[in-house]
Amino acid sequence: MISTILLLGTVLATVTGRLGDAAGTVRQQLLLPIGQALDRLLAPIDRGLEPAANAYNRSLGRYFGTMSGLQFALIVGSVVALLTAGVWAPMVGPLVGGGLLRTLALASIWAIFAMSWDIQSGYTGYISFGHSVLSGAAGYTTALLIVHVDPGLSIWVTASVSVLAALVVGLLVALPTLRLEGPYFSLITFVAVLLFYRLTTAFSSLGGIPGFGQPDVFTWDPVMRYYYMAIPMLLIALGLTFMARSNLGMILVAIRENESAVSAAGINPTKFKIWSFALSSIPMGIGGVLLVGFTGNVDPDTFVIVDNSIEMIAMAVIGGMSSILGPLGGAFLFEFLNHQLFHGYSTPVRYLFLWGLVLLVLVFARDGLFRMIWHRLGAVGGESE
Amino acid sequence: MSVLEVDGLTKRFGGLVAVDDFSLDIEEGEIVGLIGPNGSGKSTVFNCIMGSYDVTEGSIRFNGDDITADSTHEIVTKGLSRVSQESNPIDLYSVGGNIKLFTLPNSIRSLHGGASDEEIYEYAARIDIEDKLEEMPDELPHADVRRLEIAKALATEPDMLLLDEPFAGMNQAEISELSAQIERFRENGMTMVVVDHNMGGLMELVDRVVVLNNGDFLASGSPEEIAENEHVQEAYLAGEGL
Repeated sequence: MISTILLLGTVLATVTGRLGDAAGTVRQQLLLPIGQALDRLLAPIDRGLEPAANAYNRSLGRYFGTMSGLQFALIVGSVVALLTAGVWAPMVGPLVGGGLLRTLALASIWAIFAMSWDIQSGYTGYISFGHSVLSGAAGYTTALLIVHVDPGLSIWVTASVSVLAALVVGLLVALPTLRLEGPYFSLITFVAVLLFYRLTTAFSSLGGIPGFGQPDVFTWDPVMRYYYMAIPMLLIALGLTFMARSNLGMILVAIRENESAVSAAGINPTKFKIWSFALSSIPMGIGGVLLVGFTGNVDPDTFVIVDNSIEMIAMAVIGGMSSILGPLGGAFLFEFLNHQLFHGYSTPVRYLFLWGLVLLVLVFARDGLFRMIWHRLGAVGGESE
Repeated sequence: MSVLEVDGLTKRFGGLVAVDDFSLDIEEGEIVGLIGPNGSGKSTVFNCIMGSYDVTEGSIRFNGDDITADSTHEIVTKGLSRVSQESNPIDLYSVGGNIKLFTLPNSIRSLHGGASDEEIYEYAARIDIEDKLEEMPDELPHADVRRLEIAKALATEPDMLLLDEPFAGMNQAEISELSAQIERFRENGMTMVVVDHNMGGLMELVDRVVVLNNGDFLASGSPEEIAENEHVQEAYLAGEGL
């Protein structure tokens, strides 16, 4: 028996060793030359874009981070693409399975979730497995207000109260748990989402399994619907990037890397951990409100189920944790693969692919795809890596 | 006037008494050496002063303020800073970034406060690492990592520094250099307690030595008196020499 295990071990070690060698060869023979060729190709473009990037760097770089020419072009290009999607997406959509605007609208909502998760979990390293409780709290608050209080309530009232509810629930989770160190925080967030899920399914006054169908969608016009989701998403991305590039982001990362050093610097880590959770809860609430406006239905499987919490983590991981814009990109890639590229497959098969992709990123590109691209673009101008 | 008063400090871990009814008074501008064989409780005393450990009994006052129950960040804000035995810079930040972290205000509203580049340069220059501000901590030689720890502590603008084995792992030349730098802090009015397990680096530096043994006060006096004290020599006989 033992010899079998030993043999198996040896075989495995050899195979992984070979794989490592093969990866090394691929890297040297294939990736390196491609990288160098790309550098030669892109360097003049980078230089050409530099004046524009530098104008930005001088004025706003201090608040949102400095960029190289290519990085600046990527950001400007992405923002323009997102803002004009109402025009081009209906034309491009049929090439990738149709319904592209719907996917982009959904991706915008999930980008909000992934970025909100990131400012708290990605930055502080206190990983929350229960963030869907926050968007769920907002969604359920909207539904309960419409069903039990007054169906005619203005969206401004229901939305404000719902975001407030997400913040209150967030503080209820954060205040007692963020004083703890180690895995307790993660476990408690995990239990919180299981608890909330059962709560919503157990009581018919909370809608039970079918949930509430009364809340109305914002609009049935796909173009308008897209902008209802994309504009708040871009504003949240701007706000969170501003926060993440400030002292706050610096302190949150320091908490992740070495919490006792933060105390030694005269900074109260608990206060900042709680603040990061609050800062995460507010956009989670906004995302929850938008999700109500997208689906028109508030039920446990759309809003609360623990898979949602894990999905936003997956998006952040694919894009690159603790970068805000990485999770944004991750959310769009995830949703594009899910609803466009894999749209012909059944849900289980699609998710099999998607979780496989998450695993690949975790093993081979731990910094995330978009962070990798970002740093690669930044390196084009300077000496290559 | 006493800057730091430790009165009847006792720290128990379960049944183990790590520090037993220990008292210590530090006057303004003094440099005091706190020595003792390994396991005598020196670091535990520092951990109790800095709020890393809860104190079992006794009290600690700093500038007349009772800080016994304060948390670390409150104590640092009151002007007492520690250079710990372990170097723990944040590897993602440059040397300058690591120093900057220690100048940031403890306020969630201060998004762009903290020291300017010139101020960071000044902190680094006080311990001679101002030419390394752009380097990453994991590229630095050991002695410079130790200096970075001191620069970080200086960046909190302390009235008093606790230095925990600042000379550990340094060669003789580096010890003399660091000693001279610490001497400079005194000229600027800094009060200091330096922990070490032997007298090597302290002889020239300190005004007074306090010896701990088994968590208990053993002796106090000038470095020369301590070097000749029989009880101290006895305590060290069990382990390495004085």
